[in-house]
Amino acid sequence: MRTRGRLHSVLDKAETGPIVEEREFDIEYIQKPIQALIKKYDVKWDKDVFLTADDDLADRVYQAGYELALNTGVYCTSTKRRMVWTKAELDEVIATSPSSVIMGEGDDLAHIQARRPDEDSRVAVCGGAYGIPVPENLFVPVMLSYAQEPLLDFIDNCSLVSTYGRPIRAGSPWESVACWQEVDLSFEVVNRAGRPGMAIGCAENSPTHIGEISSNSIGGFRPSDWHHAALVSELKTNYDQLIKVAHFARTGSHIHTFANNIYGGYPGGADGMAVALVASLILLQATYFGCTVNPGPTHANLSCDTFPAMLPGIGVALQGLNRNTDLMTTAFARTAGGPGTKNVLYEAGALALVGVTSGIALMEGVQSAVGVQQAHCTGLEARFTAQVTHAAEKLTREQAAPIVKALTEKYKGGMTTENRPIGKPFDQLYDVDKVVPLPEWQGMYEEVCQEFEKEFGLTL
Amino acid sequence: MSNLENVQKDFLEILLAGDSKKAVTLAKEVLEGGTAPTEFFEKCISPSLEEIGKRFETLDIFLPEMVTAADVVQTVNDKVITPAVEASESEGITSAGKVLMATVQGDLHDIGKNMVVLMLKVNGFEVVDLGTNVSPSEIVERAESESVNIIGMSSLLTTCLPYMKDVFDYLDGKDTRNEYAVIMGGAATTPEFSEEMGANGYGHSAAEAVALCQKIMA
Amino acid sequence: MGNINGMDYEVLLTALDRAENGPIVDEKVWDAEIIGKNFQETLKKYDIKLEKDDPYVTADDDLADRLWEAGMELAAKTGVYCIDTKRHMQWTRDELEGILAVMPDQVTVGEGDDTATIIHRRPEEDSHVVIYGGPFGIPITEELFIPFHEAYAREPLIEIFNMGTLLSTRGRMIRAGSPWESIAAWQEKELAFEILDRVGRPGMAMGCVEIATTEVGELAGTTYGGYRPTDCHKINFISEQKTAYHHLIEAAHYAHIDAFSESYFNPMYGGYVGGGAGVALACVSGSIVMRAAYQGTLNNIGPTHVHLSASTHPEVLRALQLGLQALSRNGNFLTSPFIRPTSGPGTKEIFYETGALAAAATVAGCSYIDAAQSARGTKTGHASPLEVLFVAKLTHALEGMSRVDAAPLVAWMVDRYKDSQVDPLLGKPFQELHDLETLDPKPEWQTLFDEVCQEVETEFGLKL
Repeated sequence: MRTRGRLHSVLDKAETGPIVEEREFDIEYIQKPIQALIKKYDVKWDKDVFLTADDDLADRVYQAGYELALNTGVYCTSTKRRMVWTKAELDEVIATSPSSVIMGEGDDLAHIQARRPDEDSRVAVCGGAYGIPVPENLFVPVMLSYAQEPLLDFIDNCSLVSTYGRPIRAGSPWESVACWQEVDLSFEVVNRAGRPGMAIGCAENSPTHIGEISSNSIGGFRPSDWHHAALVSELKTNYDQLIKVAHFARTGSHIHTFANNIYGGYPGGADGMAVALVASLILLQATYFGCTVNPGPTHANLSCDTFPAMLPGIGVALQGLNRNTDLMTTAFARTAGGPGTKNVLYEAGALALVGVTSGIALMEGVQSAVGVQQAHCTGLEARFTAQVTHAAEKLTREQAAPIVKALTEKYKGGMTTENRPIGKPFDQLYDVDKVVPLPEWQGMYEEVCQEFEKEFGLTL
Repeated sequence: MSNLENVQKDFLEILLAGDSKKAVTLAKEVLEGGTAPTEFFEKCISPSLEEIGKRFETLDIFLPEMVTAADVVQTVNDKVITPAVEASESEGITSAGKVLMATVQGDLHDIGKNMVVLMLKVNGFEVVDLGTNVSPSEIVERAESESVNIIGMSSLLTTCLPYMKDVFDYLDGKDTRNEYAVIMGGAATTPEFSEEMGANGYGHSAAEAVALCQKIMA
Repeated sequence: MGNINGMDYEVLLTALDRAENGPIVDEKVWDAEIIGKNFQETLKKYDIKLEKDDPYVTADDDLADRLWEAGMELAAKTGVYCIDTKRHMQWTRDELEGILAVMPDQVTVGEGDDTATIIHRRPEEDSHVVIYGGPFGIPITEELFIPFHEAYAREPLIEIFNMGTLLSTRGRMIRAGSPWESIAAWQEKELAFEILDRVGRPGMAMGCVEIATTEVGELAGTTYGGYRPTDCHKINFISEQKTAYHHLIEAAHYAHIDAFSESYFNPMYGGYVGGGAGVALACVSGSIVMRAAYQGTLNNIGPTHVHLSASTHPEVLRALQLGLQALSRNGNFLTSPFIRPTSGPGTKEIFYETGALAAAATVAGCSYIDAAQSARGTKTGHASPLEVLFVAKLTHALEGMSRVDAAPLVAWMVDRYKDSQVDPLLGKPFQELHDLETLDPKPEWQTLFDEVCQEVETEFGLKL
């Protein structure tokens, strides 16, 4: 990736930027400026609207986020320093960000291309369990349920509950063991699916740099796979992330970057979240020079990103970015609902509609039941997400908005901390040997597909 | 030879044998005979420890003996000297100074640092030993909370020197650099690096570290 | 899982288990009781003694074999301490014997035309000792890195090559555990392969990753486009018999990418193991538990004087050669001494120091020799290939010599440097001893080398 020459400059910033205490950064550089920017740029929208189609608003949100990125920068917790970019540097980052990428190998390539809001063009889809913990014996059938779906361009792994029967301790050699086990199992999956070159989102068993750089090595995960680096909320990095990025840069590995701004945290509500989201994605590109940039905001209590009030914030931020940059943005479905419920499908569908019409390059999903229920993940909700994604390519924001609103009505009752619709684990929804959905889950899925056709005129 | 000189000879042998019980008994006997606790410390304990330090320098004894001797002295202090000082309400034994010692972040080696710790203790310093792989922020925070006089940092590895630099940067950031003397040692450090950092001193052996601390506190 | 280096994955997982589940022990207790006390008791039990007037090269097979037995017993009693988990990792005697029973007795490292085969040797055996040569981590500036190392790598008698360490990377300080360690690892690798290309030995095994202070450098440097599985990767104990997560992470990594590794440790003369006899015992017990913990391909021992930091101190030398004898007589270890002299290049003393230890180790049955971390590795650029060349020539001349015949040579050499160790002669840096264009030694330095070679020939009839 041609922008990786700035690796040293980025690492320099982590060593030489001004020293700031972390608490001061959170208040003086995140909370207060965001509140000021919301006022300055008049960031607001009607509460009844869940997908805006106001280009001027989108551009104002972008300006607010850009200003935040410029004045705040990124905080490196390992060095307690603020990494700052000048305007010229930031503009160069934006101007030179890659607008397309091809991942995977051989016949199993995935093409991702930057888009604009309302654009009628293909959106790539990554389907996977996104780190949902899964028992060792279920890894292969779970991931095969994704890998065998032809509408998914590539997959992202679940994580393991244990490795060879032992707990996986972060920062220990067990991380390395677990990631190499993930390597072995992943290659079994893609080979069985007949897609040996398909890019694999990895390494999911790597809470620190150890597992990632150990397994992204000879005989392990490949440079053509889809590796991860993140900004920690809000706008923070650390040596672990930078070590990973240095490794990816050097090995020519694809880098997927993400930031999970907290709705209800230091940025405030959806308006502040939107501003933070824009800043995050710009700074992801500046810090990690990846290919894809993902906002995965998280509700402070519910941990999902499909909470209805969050959707317009996500949408307007993505619109601002996609109107003003060539970043390959994504939308990531982290649903409150789990597999075996209609909620998961409604939620993922809503976010897909918001993301696609707002101009994303890639749709990701689904981190069902907010990713914390063991083995609550199946390929079927990912297939559904892909279907909605491709149907949404034909829609404008104005056409998608009422559908999104209607879907929030269907699932908002599940947005609660008690009695969550967490669904069921994989082995109660799929035939584990044949890796096909069981009738109950298949039936539910078909019902929702029919609802989409009847109520919204979308053929999935 | 005075009686205390004879006692000191016996005390030295007891330390070398690592016999806490005998050491405590001897100390009690001497104090019951009318010797002040501070005099016993200055004329028996201190010279014995000094002798032990010298023997370790020439490797006539090894590290285990030195560790054991220091432990025995600690026991005597805890069980005999300190209670006696408190009971007599006299002035306690003056510490030569308080030193914080740490092997810096990224480095797990500790034997060199441990030798300095021991030698400082046997020479009357109070030591706060933070161990190995200690972050710069922890060094600075503990120096403050423990109210030390001297910060001592050790590293065997050149790639850990930047963490020593961080300590200076953090002290400057807090405007507290002048509250401490900062010294360094270990194979990776050099006089040139020490000077570049603005350290108060550099030593390449445990004995040099002690001499440096004594000079700083003088 | 592959087995390029004979690694058993279950043995690895067992080691990692023990680091997580062994009994919790305070580190001070480990040092004083589990190491200190057990060492002293074992020495007494097996009557292991090394006196100051014993020959520097002992020829007492009974002593060597008792030392082995003592070491086996002690290995089972002590095990390894994991600093990160504060747990005591132990193996039973049966487990240790099982692990040792399947150790390979030879290995071929490197690639293509540039391989080197290291074989297990016994004392006095007339077989080839591999020379693993280089400045071994001596700090060197970026500017001098290539000429300095090219001077070594072109020496045909050096069969495996280990570089010095970069003082900076791309002009920045290298910070352990940070992304700069990763950057430095890559820079080192690039320089390493440029050097190998220049000397026409692209497949020669490289000791790596020299700059790695934590697992970051090693993992970053050994990956796609980086150092190869056929290079000699490193993994070590901290004194005494201690490990940490970062070492175990390296062990796991080597298992997964099928890499060779050199495991090494440095018992301390004057430290918790005591004096010479304790160091000899540590050589044995440490090697055994190191095999259990890491399953390294090669086994390097570099005992060090607690004040002088050298492995060539006479007491240390005597202890090490005895330890090597015990190991080579009783196990398949592929062992080597680590030559760390107090003297620097540009002195005669450096030849005496490095030669003495090389000679003693060769007749003691070492399989290869790591040479040389001149001037204790602390002075920037104070190293030169000539001291390694001397070691190589002397080593090969002594293959097949008896211990009794070698003892006078070693004593002669020790006499010529021992008094200089307290206030060492640090010598001069590489650029003052070698022509930076031709890389040849300057006449003055070459003359010193030739003189010492002549002395050895005159005194002992050995043609170097």
